[in-house]
Amino acid sequence: MDKELFETMRLELRRGSLVLAVLACLRTERYGYSLRQALAADGLEMEESTLYPLLRRLEGQGLLTSEWREEEKRKKRFYVLSPGGEAMLAALTEEWRGINASLDRML
Amino acid sequence: MDVIERYLEAVAAQLSTEDREDIVAELRDLILSRVEAKEQELGRALTDDEKEAILHEIGHPLVVAARYRKGPDSLIGPELFPYWLFGAKAGLIVVAAVQVLVLMLRVLGDPADFGQAIAQGFHGFFTGALTLLGALTLAGAIMEHYGLKPAWLTTWRVGDLPAYGLADPAKWGAAMSSSGKAKVARPSEVRNWAGRLEGREASEALWSLIAGTVFVLWWIDVLHVPGLSQFGLRGGEVAVTAAPIWSALFAPILAWAVAGTAVDALGLIQPQAARLRAFLKIPVSMGGMWIGWRLFEARHWFTLTQGDQIAHVEGGPANVSSEALRAINDAGRGLTDTAMTLSTVLSWVLVVMMLALVLDIAKQMWRMATIPD
Repeated sequence: MDKELFETMRLELRRGSLVLAVLACLRTERYGYSLRQALAADGLEMEESTLYPLLRRLEGQGLLTSEWREEEKRKKRFYVLSPGGEAMLAALTEEWRGINASLDRML
Repeated sequence: MDVIERYLEAVAAQLSTEDREDIVAELRDLILSRVEAKEQELGRALTDDEKEAILHEIGHPLVVAARYRKGPDSLIGPELFPYWLFGAKAGLIVVAAVQVLVLMLRVLGDPADFGQAIAQGFHGFFTGALTLLGALTLAGAIMEHYGLKPAWLTTWRVGDLPAYGLADPAKWGAAMSSSGKAKVARPSEVRNWAGRLEGREASEALWSLIAGTVFVLWWIDVLHVPGLSQFGLRGGEVAVTAAPIWSALFAPILAWAVAGTAVDALGLIQPQAARLRAFLKIPVSMGGMWIGWRLFEARHWFTLTQGDQIAHVEGGPANVSSEALRAINDAGRGLTDTAMTLSTVLSWVLVVMMLALVLDIAKQMWRMATIPD
């Protein structure tokens, strides 16, 4: 098996699940770095350089809210799901479970 | 200024002013968190090289800033790219064809200048190609940025598809020949003859478009064809000057050539609009006939000058006769006889062209009668 091809396809497969993972993690308020650590702890490594722009995009889409707070002598931006984000998370979760069930039947 | 601040400055320079402060603050927090985590792991402060390694992991400032850009990620996105690519391929082929035609004209006009003609040909092709690609990319980028979706992106018919064979020169003749709708609607015996006729006319439209473009460029002095303003004769060089009628007809001839080119272009863009093309060709041909009639009326076309000798090239009905043709055989190589020969030859050429225009009008009227809506 071509390792490079597998790596490309693996990233594509994971890319589709990142938004759902981020929304799920932000049911609890977190800042960027701690969110990345939480995702990594659950097996989803994500580059900060990808994560931070994604957080801004989701906030721009009304799915997250954020505020700057000082913590440990440094200003950090804390994100959490908005009401719209909670509704979206629920809808995407159902969609994800449907896709999973279909794939389970096929595999 | 430390390594991290220098990095953040480079990123900030690429960001819009409204978001800059906010994004840079977030990036600073991200970088400092990584640095602190690494320092905790090593039990000491990081060196500048170690900090730079972290910055490398985060990414080049241009790439990082691009991730925060609002709007499309690419100059020409995946939806538009196939159209851009087709336009580029077909356009480059047309540019190459035009340059080949111009090269042939230059070489025929002055065979001794072959090397220079080749060099000019390459230069013309590269300049034209770069201009084409630049214009296509600019148009595509504007459409991508503003989310413009013209009708040809979203609505298309199978009848239009053969036109896309333009990207493959081997299929130029056949590419524009089919209009499925027209083929289905006609009676079979008319369809067969019309189908063959359409195929030939489609190829002619393409070459006519190329030749028309070259003519327009020459007419407005963008292209220069050597050897037209003077030629050699026994007794010395002969300078050729245009008579006043050509100045008077400059704009009408330009309009006629542009109109003809536009009608040919219509055949490439909308091959199924055969009736419309036939309808438009009629006034274009009539315009050509009017120009020919004006030329006949003016009579004086060119002045030949050799030293202190002058002769006029004058066309007219008197030159369109069998006697005038026989006179060519007896003509000498002097200036006056050369002018007389040119008068007769050009008069006959003009008459043949006007007859061809009459036939073209008849052909287009027949096509309008036989091609269904």
